[in-house]
Amino acid sequence: MDAAGSRPAVVIDNGTGYTKTGFAGNVEPSFILPTVVAVNESFVNQSRASSKKGSNWLAQHSAGVMADLDFYIGEEALTRSKSSSTYNLSYPIKHGQVDNWDAMERFWQQCIYNYLRCDPEDHYFLLTESPLTAPESREYTGEIMFETFNVPGLYIAVQPVLALAAGYTTSKCEMTGVVVDVGDGATHVVPVADGYVIGSSIKSIPVAGKDVTRFIQQLMRERGEHIPPEESLEVARKVKEMYCYTCSDIVKEFNKHDKEPAKFVKQWRGTKPKTGAPYSCDIGYERFLGPEVFFNPEIYSNDFITPLPEVIDKCIQSAPIDTRRALYKNIVLSGGSTMFKDFNRRLQRDLKKIVDARFELSDARIRGEVKARPVEVNVVSHPIQRNAVWFGGSVLASTPEFFKACHTKAEYEEYGASICRTNPVFKGMY
Amino acid sequence: MILLQSPSRYLLQILSTRVQNLEKGVELDCQWIEFDDVRYHIQASTKNPNLLVLSVSLPTPPPETVFFGGLPPEAIEAIKAAYGTVVHILDPPKDGFNLTVKLNLSKLPPDEEHRQALLGKIASIREVVQGAPLRAVLKQLVSRTVKSDLNKLISLVHRPNESFFVVPQADKVTVVFPMRFKDSIDSILATSFLQEFVDARRTAGLGNAPHYLWSPSPPQELEGAPAEALLANAGFVSFVISPRHVQGRKLDKTVWSLSTFHAYVSYHVKCSEGFMHTRMRRRVESLIEALDRAKPDWKKVKRAVQTRSFKRLSINDGRATSNSRN
Ligand SMILES: Nc1ncnc2c1ncn2[C@@H]1O[C@H](COP(=O)(O)OP(=O)(O)OP(=O)(O)O)[C@@H](O)[C@H]1O
Ligand SMILES: [Mg+2]
Repeated sequence: MDAAGSRPAVVIDNGTGYTKTGFAGNVEPSFILPTVVAVNESFVNQSRASSKKGSNWLAQHSAGVMADLDFYIGEEALTRSKSSSTYNLSYPIKHGQVDNWDAMERFWQQCIYNYLRCDPEDHYFLLTESPLTAPESREYTGEIMFETFNVPGLYIAVQPVLALAAGYTTSKCEMTGVVVDVGDGATHVVPVADGYVIGSSIKSIPVAGKDVTRFIQQLMRERGEHIPPEESLEVARKVKEMYCYTCSDIVKEFNKHDKEPAKFVKQWRGTKPKTGAPYSCDIGYERFLGPEVFFNPEIYSNDFITPLPEVIDKCIQSAPIDTRRALYKNIVLSGGSTMFKDFNRRLQRDLKKIVDARFELSDARIRGEVKARPVEVNVVSHPIQRNAVWFGGSVLASTPEFFKACHTKAEYEEYGASICRTNPVFKGMY
Repeated sequence: MILLQSPSRYLLQILSTRVQNLEKGVELDCQWIEFDDVRYHIQASTKNPNLLVLSVSLPTPPPETVFFGGLPPEAIEAIKAAYGTVVHILDPPKDGFNLTVKLNLSKLPPDEEHRQALLGKIASIREVVQGAPLRAVLKQLVSRTVKSDLNKLISLVHRPNESFFVVPQADKVTVVFPMRFKDSIDSILATSFLQEFVDARRTAGLGNAPHYLWSPSPPQELEGAPAEALLANAGFVSFVISPRHVQGRKLDKTVWSLSTFHAYVSYHVKCSEGFMHTRMRRRVESLIEALDRAKPDWKKVKRAVQTRSFKRLSINDGRATSNSRN
């Protein structure tokens, strides 16, 4: 094997909200960066304006060069855009799909050179994609990785498959199960059998972390909390990540809050970005109403009203019949928005209710002729759930089989970008 | 980002989080690699949260470059001078590494500013260790104490199995880089870059920069260097460093810039390839738009094919996809 095969692979999980990036073999990604790029557009406009006047080419040339290098990613991008109006934010990924390839390429560039500080020619790369990504987009990714960065080898893995693989080391774990990936911009329920995604049964929900944040922002605004408008989304996100939890019954929870406000109502303290004056506000019902969006979507949206447990049930029911029992038995959570306290318990309970109801119904229909075996429902939650996709990638990319499954630069040069359309399931995955 | 920074971002992040959460003292075990094959491994146990064990491995030196006890000359002295009591060198180093040190966070300076500065310095450990021999030579230049063995060729490793060369003289130090690139396109772009540097060096405002030379064949300074060191597919770059380039605080910067010069060029080659692609994509998009406008019912073909690769964007393919949509 070449020298790059002896070095750990680079694993990058690009998400709508956050990009997780690091080296295979580690437990945690090195960096978790907001997937955002701040580009300085003023140079571009300036050089265009001056070209009309016909000023010297050197100035234009260096303005162009500067503009090409003058951009930031991640937290740095957010702070830059806050402190100066010359930078425009662009979010390369929308709903799990790459939307702006220029921004994406720039994001990767800084990720590799400024954050990981590695030479892409020295490492194999494992990238991830959502289960709904089109093969064309995979070709595009391959073009950028092989042409621009000269990577020696590339594998593009499907996120939920990696999330399943993440359970690999935590328990005996099989490569059959349903992955419930609730990220920032998309929620997918994906059945996987022996490492293969059952494509026809994938269900997607237009409600994810970003919507919870927006809902909380809306609730706080409607209650009249005084939060500076330019900060309110950021505050809502922090409130969500720090204080939200999943309740078992919404009516009871309202009562609890009303009876003992001192115990349940929390305080948020901040300083206004413009004046620096301190402010504070209450955090009340939104603590449990936020995550409730997944279980009673009608409180947030008029268009989409199917609760998550029901979607999971439909998904499994549409899968081949001989896989269903195994799927109910291994429902794996992944993504930041499954981190709410007791999220797995609530999901397990609600799903069990649906399954049991159906079981009783059919049991009553056939009335004792044959006794069916009850269906076991098991929602698995593990400590590295938040970065399960990345961790799964890290585990798989440290197996020797990974390097054989990668598309190599030589193959790319021989056959072109179309080789990236398919990425074989390899041993070690099951 | 124009220049590569000397502190390792990840190492600095680990150290800062550790210092801020000392009481939590979680277990830690991370490994990673930076450009030019510099590897890191950092470990900490829950027993004593103040202690971290950091191992670093440097690129394998080619035969002409000497290491003493697995480290470049002057490295031990440089580590002691830079870190004082915070860093303790463990001998022998961990298997597979050139250097293992124990960091004792309880010995960090109490005031915030000095502490941050020292953490940054620890994160720059590769500059301290790998740049030690070069720093020693440049220091002699400042103090004008260059040893009398004039025109001696010193070779220093900067990439796996590759070195660059330093020729110290009484009033100047010449640094020569054989430039090699794996990819043929990279080497062409790099060559034109390096040639353009010659012109750029002449522009006003850069009068104080070091003299810069590029040549396709080995310069005479490299006489006596081993044959394989004289092969380079992107030519040879020489910088002439005078005392004014290494005075005071400039020294560290010059050492870093020189020891990562190859990485710097390679980074910019990659950047320019990226931007060429960006422009090609824009061009393709505008051409497609023009084509779409030529169709009688172009308004229906909203924002055609954004996620298609160049290859399938021939006119026929474009038509095929738009037909299937109509
Ligand atoms: N502790 C937490 N509790 C609740 N939500 C959290 C927590 N931590 C992170 N989140 C939310 O999880 C989301 C990010 O999750 P994740 O990183 O899995 O998404 P992503 O991979 O960027 O998006 P996607 O997979 O949809 O493309 C954000 O909305 C964030 O606010
Ligand atoms: Mg994700």
